[in-house]
Amino acid sequence: MITSTTSTLGPRRYRAFNWVGLQTLYAKEVRRFVSVATQTVLAPMVTTLLFLAVFVLALGHAVDRVGDVAYMSFLAPGLIMMAITQNAFANTSSSILISKIQGNIVDLLMPPLSPLERTIGMAGGGLTRGLIVGVATWVAMLPFVPMSAAHPFYILFHAVAASLMMSLIGVVAGIWAEKFDHMAAITNFVVTPAAFLSGAFYSAQRLPEFWQGVAHANPLFYMIDGFRYGFIGHADGSLGAGIAVMLGANALLLWLTHRLFAVGYRLKA
Amino acid sequence: MAAPALRLGPRRFGRVNWRGCLNLLRRQFKSGFADLHYTILGPVVSNALYLLLFVIASTSLTRLDPQALIAFIAPGLICFAIAERAFEASGANLIFEKHHNTHTDWLMAPLTATERAACFALSSTLGGVTVGAAVALMTLAFSWPSLAHPGALIFFALATGMMHGLIGTLLGIWALKWDQYTALHTFVLLPLAFLSGVFAPIDKMPELAQHLIRLNPIFYLIDGFRYGMSGAASADPLLSALVALGMNLALFLWVHRWFRSGYRLKS
Repeated sequence: MITSTTSTLGPRRYRAFNWVGLQTLYAKEVRRFVSVATQTVLAPMVTTLLFLAVFVLALGHAVDRVGDVAYMSFLAPGLIMMAITQNAFANTSSSILISKIQGNIVDLLMPPLSPLERTIGMAGGGLTRGLIVGVATWVAMLPFVPMSAAHPFYILFHAVAASLMMSLIGVVAGIWAEKFDHMAAITNFVVTPAAFLSGAFYSAQRLPEFWQGVAHANPLFYMIDGFRYGFIGHADGSLGAGIAVMLGANALLLWLTHRLFAVGYRLKA
Repeated sequence: MAAPALRLGPRRFGRVNWRGCLNLLRRQFKSGFADLHYTILGPVVSNALYLLLFVIASTSLTRLDPQALIAFIAPGLICFAIAERAFEASGANLIFEKHHNTHTDWLMAPLTATERAACFALSSTLGGVTVGAAVALMTLAFSWPSLAHPGALIFFALATGMMHGLIGTLLGIWALKWDQYTALHTFVLLPLAFLSGVFAPIDKMPELAQHLIRLNPIFYLIDGFRYGMSGAASADPLLSALVALGMNLALFLWVHRWFRSGYRLKS
């Protein structure tokens, strides 16, 4: 008996893919935010509603319509997308950074997982949180904002692509950061400004040329614009370009994340 | 050698332990400003973004005068920055201290409950007003502010900081976990602050909303602060001042009571 158990030790023996391991990592990432759902799902829902109230109170009386939709209907998809991006990013970045600081990052590094499986498991957790928060904020807004779905494909595509993109950026940021201050700096000085100046709150078409240029250089503009097109059927930028940017950015980030996990950059010092 | 031992005994200060107060004040104030770019630059950048966002959104969507909009919103944002910092300075700090047991530093020190409560109120007020001043400087990039009643401005800035510092202290004493602290912040304090007329004059709102907002003490603080800057107010400034004083007095007595009984601090 003893010999048979020792003989089971040895090199990794799975097919091409360690499904059980991947599933376990994914489940860990999802349970991590579900167990504190008040903070991770309910809180973004409330703050998004507050943002809606603030903008409607401050500008609503002066804006009748944007294009041919009411300001609220224009605003709502942008706000949902902001909630998706911020939460997808928060999920992966905090998971990795906290693990690194507490030392339980070995739980991610020691199991027999390939860099690809790690990438998919981590990003999958962030993707799931982004989508759940997106659905939650959408449901919360339904009583206040008339919303239709003009092009469901665009809603779905951009929700998934944006969520994936931000959770991959979160993984990279989490790997790079060494202190909570680093992460606060990334959130305050990169992620939030990019989200605010993405056209979530205004129509990029009516901006001065300089600010239009700024908007078009921001990947978040394309996800919000395309996502909003899915709801109201009107886009400020090119839809094809939006899909291309999202696919390109995600491919690039998948490659980068895979590479960082493979090399062990700032993980296996 | 016997003489120093004899000197031990009951507390021997004047009526107030000034030196102890000063030490506690310095300790509390410094703890919030260990990371300058986090405590000061963070609010400055995010508030600059809010203003920029409002300018862009209003010029692209409305015919509103962006300068008038900023003149209205900027005082609210400054107040908001003061409030957030003062609240965090006492609340987050207290929970952190309780978890690390460093609050014994000031529980053991020969300070009365009044002295402790005063130091907590004052240190968080100072922290809040410092961040508020930084945000106010930032708003100069957008518009040159008016200064109608400097006295009212200073009074309401201090009252905002102190009220939130005291609320933060209460919450920090009461909360056992970070979850409770963030939940109350997100689900109670943030909605009260956002729905207080920071972003739009309440005169244009539906009557029911106006009545509800008039029940919100934060409305009076922001309205009074705005009166100090622009000279225009939705509520009688005297009433606002009375509300601010009353709230601060009541909260101070509450904090004093908890410090004296040691509720959730000396258990």
